[in-house]
Amino acid sequence: MKKIRYIAIILVFSLLIGGTSLLGIAKSDEEISAWERRRLQQLPELSWSSLQSGDFMKNFESYLSDQFPLRDSLRRLKARIHFNVLGQKDNSGIYIAEGHAGKLDPVLNDDLVQGFTDKVTELYDTYLAATDCKVYYSVIPDKNYFLAEKNGYPAFDYAELFGMVDKNLRFMTKIDISELIEIEDYYTTDTHWKQESITDVAHKIRTAMGMKSDASYEEKSVGEFYGVYYGQSALPLEADEIKYLTNEELELCTVFNAETQKNTRVYDMEKLQSMDLYDVFLSGAVSFMEISNPTAKTGRELVIFRDSFGSSLAPLLLSGYEKVTLIDTRYIMPELVGEYITFKNQDVLFIYSTLLINSSGALK
Amino acid sequence: MVFSSLPFLYVFLPLTLAVYFIAPKKLKNTVLLIFSFAFYWWGEPKYAVLMLVTITFCYFAGRIIERIRETRWTKPLLIFSVAVPLGFLAVFKYADFLISTVNGIIGADIPLLKLALPIGISFYTFQALSYVVDVYRGDTPAQKNWINLAAYVVLFPQLIAGPIVRYTTVAEDLEERTHTPEKAAKGIRRFVFGLGKKVLIANVLGSLVAAYRESAEPSVLFSWMYAVAFSLQIYFDFSAYSDMAIGMGKMLGFRFLENFDYPYISKSITEFWRRWHISLGTWFRDYVYIPLGGNRTTKLRHIINILIVWALTGIWHGAGWTFMSWGVYFGVLLILEKYVFGKALEKAPKLIRHFYVIFAVVISFVLFNATTFTEAWNDIKNMFGMGGLPIITDDTVYHFRSYAVILIAAFFAATPVFRSIGKKLEEYKLTAVIEPVLLAVILIVCTAYLVDGSFNPFLYFRF
Repeated sequence: MKKIRYIAIILVFSLLIGGTSLLGIAKSDEEISAWERRRLQQLPELSWSSLQSGDFMKNFESYLSDQFPLRDSLRRLKARIHFNVLGQKDNSGIYIAEGHAGKLDPVLNDDLVQGFTDKVTELYDTYLAATDCKVYYSVIPDKNYFLAEKNGYPAFDYAELFGMVDKNLRFMTKIDISELIEIEDYYTTDTHWKQESITDVAHKIRTAMGMKSDASYEEKSVGEFYGVYYGQSALPLEADEIKYLTNEELELCTVFNAETQKNTRVYDMEKLQSMDLYDVFLSGAVSFMEISNPTAKTGRELVIFRDSFGSSLAPLLLSGYEKVTLIDTRYIMPELVGEYITFKNQDVLFIYSTLLINSSGALK
Repeated sequence: MVFSSLPFLYVFLPLTLAVYFIAPKKLKNTVLLIFSFAFYWWGEPKYAVLMLVTITFCYFAGRIIERIRETRWTKPLLIFSVAVPLGFLAVFKYADFLISTVNGIIGADIPLLKLALPIGISFYTFQALSYVVDVYRGDTPAQKNWINLAAYVVLFPQLIAGPIVRYTTVAEDLEERTHTPEKAAKGIRRFVFGLGKKVLIANVLGSLVAAYRESAEPSVLFSWMYAVAFSLQIYFDFSAYSDMAIGMGKMLGFRFLENFDYPYISKSITEFWRRWHISLGTWFRDYVYIPLGGNRTTKLRHIINILIVWALTGIWHGAGWTFMSWGVYFGVLLILEKYVFGKALEKAPKLIRHFYVIFAVVISFVLFNATTFTEAWNDIKNMFGMGGLPIITDDTVYHFRSYAVILIAAFFAATPVFRSIGKKLEEYKLTAVIEPVLLAVILIVCTAYLVDGSFNPFLYFRF
């Protein structure tokens, strides 16, 4: 009987390591992981210098991990074991609470929050201080604000972050939207808020900026959406649904994308083919774009300095503005902004999420 | 390349095993040498030549020592043969430590060499030295075949993190070894369990250790949790590597000696060091402690011998005063057990003795894991509520909830409980099915963790 056991062990082991190796060789390499939303490492080029420097070895390890047979299933298995067997409360920093996936962010980076307000202040001083623009700011709390502490996950002190921002940006008008937002307003598998749930936020901002807020919208769906946390958590979460709000005024708007030098629509349906369906809102991450609204003959302009949360909010702020400019200084140097726009008598809104404020190194 | 990596598990290992078992008997050592060298070169392309130089030097040293045995040149040649590999070790591992110490003492500004530490240099140097000394002592004949000696030193299972395999242990196997399904299966079992210990226990505990260092809300309890977690991590990390090495050695027909024997069940520090990193302890005993006179000398000289050996043991682990102090700390405890409270300890209740060992070892590893004395002192102060930290914070509670299962599992896995269960189960026929399935499950789960790019350091790499 012992002999049978020994043979069985040898066979199982050989089959697993040998079989997997052969499977890996037979399997064709993939370019991207839709699940993880990233490009996968390809077989690194073999050269004497890459061998000597160790680069080949490093890249080969990444290649093997990225192209491993049944990679997604194995990642799911790991997540299951991590949560259900080892009793871990998060998997690579992603946790699940109240049906939502969130990302642990327990440390308030004072320096980065200060860095954020310094950068905003610099923009203000450079472009806005000497103009008659009306300048506002809003801070969007991220999901941890609603989920973490309540469910026993570590989180930084949000009151301290809000306090620092308020103190440093006191020369602007604050529009407090935090009380209007609930966890249900966010996608369960993603960082972002749902456009259909933030009409009250848009209403408050518009009112604060002296705009009427009586637009009505039709809700449309573009289909299932697996957000950024879905791939990271590797847990079988239910899909979200991307919906967008539209009306005749929005349909007539054109969007000039300074990066592509092309005109698109507010809701960019070409992005339905992209890795991130949230990019449907104003084509995703773009450094500088202008929305022209032919319906509004008011002469009023809005400039929004924003992060990705602004993509889904901006269409709801658009009504009544002849032009809305969106600037994302993660992708454009602040000193170049003046080459694209002249600040004069516009409404200017700085709106950023706490996620970005607490990691402001992403801003240029 | 670490054993717990995808390139090792799914490229290197299957390829090596396939070629090794296909190769005719007389070429098996050559195959091992080539693959072992490739294994080392993969992780350390820059210094692979240094290892070959050490091997070749020791090969000729052994041959010459044997030829001129019992002449007046034998001892000087031995000293020279030991000094050269130790010189390499000194330059690459200790030069900057010595320079910065001298700079600190005399206020000089001698520039540091900033040489990278060649992987595994402490291990292969000690192995090569043991060979030369054993030849000098006449414990073994000099190896005539360079390939066999090189295969011994670079043998990939034990090359970079031990156990420190003596030449005399494997000399016979190098010439003639057998391969049986029993050896292979037991080797596989040992390897897979080692992999599981490393990936599923040590790495997970490692992330708790990292979380403590990154915590914005440390506390007294978190400090203790960190100290216990690190003590368990280093045990599982290192013993897992030894398990994998011993397991692969078995697959290849070698018999390596055990390196760990459940050290945390010890009832004294003396016993602890008979169970922890056994190959290093016995190396220092046979090549330093006994040549210094061991315990067959005056009490004072014995105490000095112990302190020398333990200072060296400490400094072997890392070029730093914290490592040396860690070694001396154990030296002092061993002296105290020998001459002060050893007898009282023997009479004390078992629980007290276990508690004493665990407490002393946990404190030692706080020192071991600190980069400076200040950091160590701060960690120890925090553990005893002297660092101004709260007793408990939300962050502590979160991490305790998150790691409770693994801490409890690690606690039991550090005792022979599972081994006893395994032995009892061996009697049942169903084990023939359960064991292969269990090994497959462990291998698949470990692969899943590795594919997900989890935290995967090997602590003993730095040595």
